[in-house]
Amino acid sequence: MPRVLSQRKPYLLLFLLLSLNLILMASSVRGARGGSLLEETVMSVASPFLKAASWITSGVAGLWAHYADLREVELENRRLRAQVGSLTLEARAAEETRQEARRLRDLLALREEAGEGGIVAARVIARGASGPARTLLIGRGSSDGVSVNLPVISSRGVVGRVIEAAPGVSKVQSILDPNSGVAALLQRTRVQGVLVGEGGETCRLDFVSEGASVEVGDVVVTSGLDEIYPKGRILGLVVAVGEAQGLTRYVQVRPEVDLQRLEEVLVLRAPLTAAPGGEP
Amino acid sequence: MKMLRAGLALGAVCLLQMLLGLHLPAVARRCDLFSIFAVYIALTRTQRPALILGSSAGLAQDALADTILGLNGFKKTLLAYLVGTLGSLFMLNQTVPRFGILFATAFFEPLTDLGLALAMGQQFVFPSPWDLLQRGLGNGVVGLLAFWIAARLPS
Repeated sequence: MPRVLSQRKPYLLLFLLLSLNLILMASSVRGARGGSLLEETVMSVASPFLKAASWITSGVAGLWAHYADLREVELENRRLRAQVGSLTLEARAAEETRQEARRLRDLLALREEAGEGGIVAARVIARGASGPARTLLIGRGSSDGVSVNLPVISSRGVVGRVIEAAPGVSKVQSILDPNSGVAALLQRTRVQGVLVGEGGETCRLDFVSEGASVEVGDVVVTSGLDEIYPKGRILGLVVAVGEAQGLTRYVQVRPEVDLQRLEEVLVLRAPLTAAPGGEP
Repeated sequence: MKMLRAGLALGAVCLLQMLLGLHLPAVARRCDLFSIFAVYIALTRTQRPALILGSSAGLAQDALADTILGLNGFKKTLLAYLVGTLGSLFMLNQTVPRFGILFATAFFEPLTDLGLALAMGQQFVFPSPWDLLQRGLGNGVVGLLAFWIAARLPS
């Protein structure tokens, strides 16, 4: 009896055999939805896990996709920033080229006006060390045919005159220098005077008689009487007219050329023809 | 060796059941040689081989008959276990108790079928009492005859 009892406990084997047969049955019996019962049972048992796995997978995939998108956006952002920087540089270079071309075109017009050998184009290589640009250094000198007292102009007007000429470089005294003097006249009234630098950013038109008609905004041009500057080149505009002081009156002139921003100039070796603005 | 004999016996049961189905279908409908085999094995062997052979007999029946694979395997496994358990608790080596067990298998099987059908959501038509009575008698008579023959085979 004890042997029999000990043999009466093949529960595991019984469970395995019954399970095996149940699985076989379930794989054969069709369920309500047309699939095998085994499939449906496995599906219904596994569906929560599958849903959880799907949720986790989709969540992870979503996070990954989000991260990848962000990463891609970041990379694109960097690329676009680099592109913007590059384009900005290109745009600045293009703008610089455009302005340079405009300046050179203006200078070329002057050169054509003076003839092939009558003009020397030069770059400004240095300015006065302090304050307004009273003197300039240009990159052409005696070896280029530049000599003392030759007038220096730009496309906008008179700059000054050469006061020193060395091989390859020359010093130009601008019309802002208090020691400079340019024979000038008012374009509107033909009142004559001498334009002298005030040491600052303006000039003064001396020897204007008390009764002369001078108004703010009048254009001051060279008169050519000093035999240095060609006649009719623009010097500046009258910005202030003072009360009479004895026989003359104070007339303040702002140069037309911005000497602080000047980059290219022309040295006139031959006299230019009178500018149209020189005659009333 | 015992397993080989049992395997041969199972093969013989398959052959006989097929022959009955072909030539004596009325008898085949009223007795289940596979159930008789499972009961015999459960009463004469320990439970482990009884379970294995019972399950094998059921699966063989499933393979031969056009039924759901595993259905008879499940029933015969359970039958072998229950009969083996009863055989370990009661003296079932006499003719009357054995007849009672064989007769009861005719009721056990449709009850198991009903339970499985309910569990699997399948339709099941329970056999009429007359059918069950006929199957019980058929199993009992044929089973006792088989037991008598088996007892006289050389060991």
